[in-house]
Amino acid sequence: MSRLNERFTKLYKIGLVITFAYFLLVLFYDIHNLGTDRKRYLSEHYISQGVQETGATNLVASVLYDYRAFDTLGEATMILTAATVLAFLVPITKATMFGTPFKSIVNQTVKLIIPYIAVLGAYLILFGHISPGGGFVGGVVLSIIAILLTLTYSVEFSEYIFKPDQKKFIEDIGAIGFVLLGLLGIFTGSNFLSNGQANFGTGNAGEVFSAGLMPFINLMIGLKVSAGLAIIFNSLIKEK
Amino acid sequence: MELAVWVIILPLLTAFSLGISKLYFKKIFFKLVIGSAILYLYLLILVITTSYPPKVYSIGQWGLLGINLMVDPLSALFLLIIALLFLPFIIFSMKYTKCIKHDYFIFSYLMVAGISGMVLTTDLFNLYVFMEVSSLSSCALSLYKKTDRGIEGTFKYLIMSTFGSFFILLATILTYYLTGTLNMAEISLAFEDTPFTIKSTIMAFFVFGYAIKIGLLPMHAWLPDAYEDSPIPYNVLSSGLVMKSAVYALIRGLYIMFGIDFLDESGLLTIVVFWGVITFITAHCLAFQQSNLNRLLAYSTIAQIAYIMIGLFVGTEAGLIAGSFHILNHAIMKGTLFFVVGIFNYSLAAVEIEDIKGLGYKFPILSFTFVVGSLAIVGLPPFNGFMSKWLIVEAALEAGFTYAAFFILVGTFLSLTYYLKVIVTLYTKNEKPLLIEEAGLSLKLPTIFLGSLCIVFGIVPSLPLHLITKIPTFLLDNGDYIRILIGG
Repeated sequence: MSRLNERFTKLYKIGLVITFAYFLLVLFYDIHNLGTDRKRYLSEHYISQGVQETGATNLVASVLYDYRAFDTLGEATMILTAATVLAFLVPITKATMFGTPFKSIVNQTVKLIIPYIAVLGAYLILFGHISPGGGFVGGVVLSIIAILLTLTYSVEFSEYIFKPDQKKFIEDIGAIGFVLLGLLGIFTGSNFLSNGQANFGTGNAGEVFSAGLMPFINLMIGLKVSAGLAIIFNSLIKEK
Repeated sequence: MELAVWVIILPLLTAFSLGISKLYFKKIFFKLVIGSAILYLYLLILVITTSYPPKVYSIGQWGLLGINLMVDPLSALFLLIIALLFLPFIIFSMKYTKCIKHDYFIFSYLMVAGISGMVLTTDLFNLYVFMEVSSLSSCALSLYKKTDRGIEGTFKYLIMSTFGSFFILLATILTYYLTGTLNMAEISLAFEDTPFTIKSTIMAFFVFGYAIKIGLLPMHAWLPDAYEDSPIPYNVLSSGLVMKSAVYALIRGLYIMFGIDFLDESGLLTIVVFWGVITFITAHCLAFQQSNLNRLLAYSTIAQIAYIMIGLFVGTEAGLIAGSFHILNHAIMKGTLFFVVGIFNYSLAAVEIEDIKGLGYKFPILSFTFVVGSLAIVGLPPFNGFMSKWLIVEAALEAGFTYAAFFILVGTFLSLTYYLKVIVTLYTKNEKPLLIEEAGLSLKLPTIFLGSLCIVFGIVPSLPLHLITKIPTFLLDNGDYIRILIGG
């Protein structure tokens, strides 16, 4: 009886998911077929005018760090909150970790790879506004260094190289730097987070020092995301 | 109007600086917390006084291409609630949180930053982002004691809150896909020639997502569990601000984007009023069975928010005024009650109703404040709760929801029974010697401040109503709001 009941619950759950999926499908289909003259002026404007207005050849970066930079501030705050929660939840006392001993091949390879990862991350951050990449992506790549150290050596070693306090400090510096860069706009007589409008010089699109404040905002986000993800990973793996 | 953006930046900047100060400059930590809170109060007062007529602040001067902030009377009401609750909350928490306190204040500042962002923004996705900031830090605060029950309750809260966010995000995506813009005014214009079924489906997603965060009937169970073992000052901000901010987002979204005519036509007004009636009757009945003070007050919060929903969704000017007034009053009354319970908890580790037996003679002033708060929340005449409840009943009668008006009176009697139960216990003689750790002035002062506001707003309701009567202007007729927002 209980087996039948179990099977019925399972079927019921699957049925609910399928119904919901079908419902969404119908809805998307309906919206898609509504008409061809729907207003798309916003995305069209971003595509046609984005390079001239922001000076960044990477359109994603121009939306993320210029048109809608305020959203990015909120998202970055969310990562900081998550990292703080996890660091707060996991006690400072040592917990048991999985200490799989690797052969020296693995350890040596990781040692060899790390400089390349660092260069790649720095490149992605600094060239974020002219080529695919940006602060978030570059930050993730940089945080891989700490994650690799944790996985191959141990949490202790990883935290010996990058102290938790230092990571927290870098994360906060990144966040404060972002807000201060935004405030530059107010101090020059324009609005919060303004870039080209406050005459920060969008420069020639395609050069490293172009697009006004965007490279610096990218740098701040990169610092913050890399430190934040390293904290999150180490806290999660420390969990018993 | 340049100041509006500082309302969001200041708490964010404070939270980040507190993070650094916690690591390297521990001495200035509490000076920073208090100083920033006082500065924030001053800033809020400046913004509230200049809130009418509303003006638009464009972030990065992008105009309609980017994100805009706007302070209208409804936002100003929420800023007023932050102004009234935040400094007392900080002062109370300084003393209340005994062990590690640093993270606590970081989370509080992040939460307030998220709420002020939600209240000021006019952009749909930005609203979602700030809502996530506030609910994540709210979860963090609710598990702050790290007890087993606290973690279990927070886990429920986290799951339900994420579930609600999922539906809100889905509705936001669909709206963007449909209209190609995220600015609320432009969405409202684009929605005019959208078919009825698609519009009502999107609206249903919004309503369902926010109903979880508000705690309407089938989705309310996370709230008492989350409140049960959380730091009590957090409960003050949670029931006063976090839950209300979801109400704000719902109201703002529905009234501006969809418009009152569509709400009436699709029958949502009738549904929500009925939903609210069922919610508060059930919540009152459940509250009657509780023996834990926090859970009792949590169920009472659910019931009061249902009253607010009824007021806001009868769809008339009087209803909007009444509902908004009750938002303010409930924040004050529930704040008073939670602060008193917090002091009892601090002094005697009291959590059950049995534990506070006979305290009326040991803490005469605090017990009197508790009585004032509970009579106000029941809705007895000289206090502020009576005013707003009376206005809600009147608005419901005027709009033709006679059954809602009748059941609000029934609900009042139900709530009187369980609050009387607590009050009677409070004043029952108890021979047991009590272990009392003296509650300092920093705990009593915020409590008495909020308690006296209950009486002041009850006797002089025109004080807050001066601000509140302007709210319907920009909600009932969304044309004005749209004109201001698009006109720059």
